[in-house]
Amino acid sequence: MSLPSDIDVVVIGGGIVGLSTARALSTDGRGVLVIDEGRNAGTNANAGSLHVQMQSRFLRMYPDQIGNLEYSLPLYPRAVGAWQQLARDLKADFELKISGGLMVAEDAAQFAFLKEKAERERALGLDVHMLERNELMAIAPYLGDAIYGAELCVTEGKLNPLLANSALRRAVLAQGVVIATETIVSALEQRDAGYLVSTSRGQVRCKTLVLAAGAGTGALSAHLSVVIPTVAEPLHMNVTEATSPLILHLVQHADRMITLKQLGAGQVVIGGGWPARFEGPQAFPTVEPDSLIGNLSLAQHVVPRLSRLRLIRTWAGVNTTCDGQCVLGALPGHANAFVAVPGDAGYTLGPLVGDMAAAIIAGRDPGFDVRPFSASRFA
Amino acid sequence: MSHFRFEGREISIRPGQTIAAALAEAGELALRDTRSGAPRGVWCGMGVCQDCLVTIDGEENMRACMVKSAPGLTVTRQAFPGQTAARSIGAKPITAGDLQELTPEILVIGGGAGGLSAALSARFAGADVLLIDERSVAGGQYYKQTAEGAGPPLDRQQREGAALVADVMASGVQIMAPADLWGAYAADLFFVTHNHQTYRIKPRQVILATGAYERPWPVPGWTLPGVMTTGAMQTLWRSSRTLPAKRILVAGNGPLNLQVANELAAGGANIVAVSEAAAGPGLRTLGSGLALALSGPALALEGAKLVLALKGRGIALHWATRLVAVEQGLTGLRATLRNQLGQDIFVEADAIALGYGFSPANEIARALGAEHRHDHDKGHLVCVRTAEMETTVPNVFAVGDGCGLGGAPAARSEGLIAGITAAGRLGRSVNVTALAAANADLKRHRRFQKALWRLFDAPEPGLSLCSADTLVCRCEEVTKAALDAALADGSPSIAEVKRRTRMGMGRCQGRNCGPLLVAHLAETQGRPMDEHAYFAPRGPLKPVAIGDIVSAGKPR
Ligand SMILES: Cc1cc2nc3c(=O)[nH]c(=O)nc-3n(C[C@H](O)[C@H](O)[C@H](O)COP(=O)(O)OP(=O)(O)OC[C@H]3O[C@@H](n4cnc5c(N)ncnc54)[C@H](O)[C@@H]3O)c2cc1C
Ligand code: FES
Repeated sequence: MSLPSDIDVVVIGGGIVGLSTARALSTDGRGVLVIDEGRNAGTNANAGSLHVQMQSRFLRMYPDQIGNLEYSLPLYPRAVGAWQQLARDLKADFELKISGGLMVAEDAAQFAFLKEKAERERALGLDVHMLERNELMAIAPYLGDAIYGAELCVTEGKLNPLLANSALRRAVLAQGVVIATETIVSALEQRDAGYLVSTSRGQVRCKTLVLAAGAGTGALSAHLSVVIPTVAEPLHMNVTEATSPLILHLVQHADRMITLKQLGAGQVVIGGGWPARFEGPQAFPTVEPDSLIGNLSLAQHVVPRLSRLRLIRTWAGVNTTCDGQCVLGALPGHANAFVAVPGDAGYTLGPLVGDMAAAIIAGRDPGFDVRPFSASRFA
Repeated sequence: MSHFRFEGREISIRPGQTIAAALAEAGELALRDTRSGAPRGVWCGMGVCQDCLVTIDGEENMRACMVKSAPGLTVTRQAFPGQTAARSIGAKPITAGDLQELTPEILVIGGGAGGLSAALSARFAGADVLLIDERSVAGGQYYKQTAEGAGPPLDRQQREGAALVADVMASGVQIMAPADLWGAYAADLFFVTHNHQTYRIKPRQVILATGAYERPWPVPGWTLPGVMTTGAMQTLWRSSRTLPAKRILVAGNGPLNLQVANELAAGGANIVAVSEAAAGPGLRTLGSGLALALSGPALALEGAKLVLALKGRGIALHWATRLVAVEQGLTGLRATLRNQLGQDIFVEADAIALGYGFSPANEIARALGAEHRHDHDKGHLVCVRTAEMETTVPNVFAVGDGCGLGGAPAARSEGLIAGITAAGRLGRSVNVTALAAANADLKRHRRFQKALWRLFDAPEPGLSLCSADTLVCRCEEVTKAALDAALADGSPSIAEVKRRTRMGMGRCQGRNCGPLLVAHLAETQGRPMDEHAYFAPRGPLKPVAIGDIVSAGKPR
C-alpha cells in the first residue's frame, strides 16, 4: 500500500493505545493514519487480564514506585469501565467478563501482606475483600489445598485480546482510519507547524503527531530530542487446550509471579510476567524454558486440575515498562505532538488512555489530573 | 478374547491393536466431536493431527492412534471441550534445575529409517547414543513394525526394518520411547517427557531424524470420520492388522498409494478404486521412467509390479484424477473424483485414504535456528546441510524426510553418514569405507527419487478445491470463507492471519494448515515462501500435559 501524502494526524503505533486514540480522534472528525511496524506489539501478545488491584509482582520488583502506582490506582476501575463501554459501542463480543480477580495467599504472612494492601486500596476507592479459606473455596473450589486465603477484587476480569483487537481494528477501519502495517518509521522532523514522517513506504506530512508505540516510543521521541525511557521487556506466556469451565476468576498470587484465567472458549491462559529474552539479529522475543517450567509448575500448584491439561502453545511478547505510570500528554517543546504510553497493566488501560489522549489533543478535560504523566519528568 | 468399553459397548481387542484400530474394526470411526459439534476420527494416524482424541479411564485428550488397547479400559467419545479430572493437590513447584539431566554423547531424535541407521552407525563407532521416539515401537513410517502379538512381519520391508531395529537394540543404543520431545532451545538443551516425567537433555551432538507427515487435502468433506491419510490406513494395517472398513477408496499422488491399495487388498479389503493425480505412464514421462529404471532397477520394477498387481486384482486405477469432494451418504461416504477435463466419477466407500504428498517435520530444526530454503520442485522447505548432514547450527545434524522428502533408502544412507561423522567429532575413529559406500548409495537413491517425482508430477491445487465452508484449519474449524474474510482487509502477515482467524492455534500446532496458508499467501499476496513465511516454531513442539512437564520425580 502507498501512504497518503498529507493527513491531519499520524499516530505511530497500532497497538491498543494507538488504535483507541485513532478511533477517538476520527470520531472527532479528524483524518487519521496509523503507522505500525507490525512486530512486537504487547497488544498482540498479552494475556487479556483486566487488572485493577495492585499487582504484587510490581510491588515487589519496584518498591520505590509504589507511590506512582497508588496515584494511578483510580484509573484502573475506570479503565475497566472503558472496556465495557467499548464492547457496547462496537457491539462486539470479545468474551469480556468482569469475573472478579483473586490474589491468593499460601500462608498467614502472605495473607497479612494482602490484608494491608487491601486496606490501602480500599482507601483509594477499590472494591476489595479478604476471603478466608472456607469463604474462598465456596466461590473458587478449583483452587488447591495449598491455598490459605485470598484478596478478591470485584471489578477485575478478563477478555479475549485476539477478538477485542480484531473488533477494534475493524471499527477503526470502518470509520475511515487508514492503517499502514509492516511500515517502519525512519525519521521524524518538525516542519511548518507540523511534522514530516519518513517511512519505509514513503513520506507523509501531518499537522498532529501522536507517539503511541509502546516500547518503541523512546526511540521515536529521540528523533525529536525528547527523552522517554521506555524499555522493551520480553515476557513469557502459555496457553492450554480448551477444557470445560474450570477457572472462573482472574487468579494471581500474593508472593509469586502468576496470572491464570480461562477464556470463554475454554483455553487456560497462564502468564504473570516470567522473563523471555531477545534472540538473534532481529531481536526476536524468544521463550526461556526456565520460565515455561517455573510458570507452569506454579500454575498446577495453585490449580491442581491443570495437571492433566495439555500445554499447546507458549510465546514471548514485548511489554513496555517505564516507571509504572502513564506517559501521556503534550510532547515537551513540540507543538502538536503528543505521547500516549500506558502505565503498568497497559492493555487494561489501553482504551481509557486512548480516550484521554484524544481529549488532550482536542483540548478537552481528560477527566484526570494528568500533569504527573508528562514526559517532562524525564528531562 | 478381551474387551474394553466404549460408550457402553464392549469392543473386542486383538493383540497389537491400538484403541483406534480396535474401534475401527468395531465400526466406530467417529471418536469425538469438535467445538461446532462435528464428528471427527483418525486423520493422520501418527500422533500429529490430534483429531482422534478420546477420554481413557477419565483422562481426556488421549490420542486413540497412539495408545495400545488393553482389557478393562473405559473409553469415551469426547464432547467439546473435555473435562479435566478432579484432583486437589498439585505437585510442589519446581524449577528447570530440579529436572533430571541426561548427557548422552549423541542424541538421535526419531526412530525411523534415518534415525535408526544414524544411531547404529554412531554406536558402532563407539559413541554413547540415546534415541528418542514418540512411538513405542521403533521403525518409523517406512519400517513401521507389526505391533507385538499382531502377527509375523508382512513382507520384505517389515523384515528389513525388524532386522534394523534388532541390530539397534543389540548394539547398546539406549532407547527412550514413547517419549515426546517438546523443547529444543539450543544444540545442547532439549526437554523430553517420558512416562509422565520430564528430563533435560544436554547432548554433545544431535541427529534430527524426525521424518514427515502427510499433507492436508482441503476439499469439501475431507474432515469426515472415515477419511484419513494413506499413512494412517497403512499403519492400521501394517501395525495392527486392522482394516478400518470393508470398501476403501485410495486417492492421492505418488507410489505409496498404489502400495497401500495392494496391501489392503491382500489383507481382504475391497478397494473400490485408486485415484492418482499424476498423468500416468505416457509418452511425457517415459524419460523419467527410464531414468528410474537406470537408477534403481529393482525398485522401478517393483513400481511397475504395483500397477500390474492392482490390475490383476481387478482394481480400477484412475490416472489424472483428483478427489474433489466427499459427502456422507446413507450407505457410506460418497466421493467425487475429477479428471483434467472436469469429468466426474462417483465412488462410494466406507473409508477413504488420501495420500497427496508429505510435509517435512522440521519443527525442531527450525526451533534451533537451522537455516532452511524453499524448494520449488518439492513444494516445501529443505534444511541447508553440509555433505556430512550437518545443519547450519554446529553439532546439529539432520537426516531423512524431515530435511525435505527423500525416501527411506536415502534416509538410511544419510543416517549412516551423520552417525559416523558425529561419532568422529567425538574422537571416535571414522570408518572411511562405510562412509564412502553410504555416499555412493545416497547418490543413487537421490537420482531415483528425482526421477520418481517427475513420474508422479501433478499440479498443486492449493485451496482451489475448497468451497466456502470447507475447513482450511481442521483444529480451529476455520472455513475458507473465514480465511477469505480475514484476507480481505489489508495484506495481513501470516502472524496477523493467525491472530485474526486462529489458524495455526489448534492442537496440531499448525502442522496441517501452516504449509497451506504459506502457499496461499505466496499465491495471493506474492509473499516469499522462505523459512520466515511459516509460523514460528515454539515449544511445546507437541502438546504435553502440564503435570508431566513439571514432574521431575518418579512416574505417577
Ligand atoms: C506477555 C504479556 C502479557 C501481558 N498481559 C497483560 C494483561 O493481561 N493485562 C494488561 O493489562 N496488560 C498486559 N500486558 C501489557 C500490555 O500488553 C501492554 O502494556 C499494552 O499492550 C501496551 O499497549 P500499547 O498500545 O501502548 O503498546 P503495544 O501494544 O506494544 O503497541 C505498540 C505498537 O507500536 C509499534 N511500534 C513500535 N515502534 C514503532 C516504530 N518505530 N514505528 C512504527 N511502529 C512502531 C509496534 O509494532 C506495536 O504494534 C502484557 C504484556 C505482555 C508482553
Ligand atoms: S489444522 Fe491444526 S492448527 Fe490449523
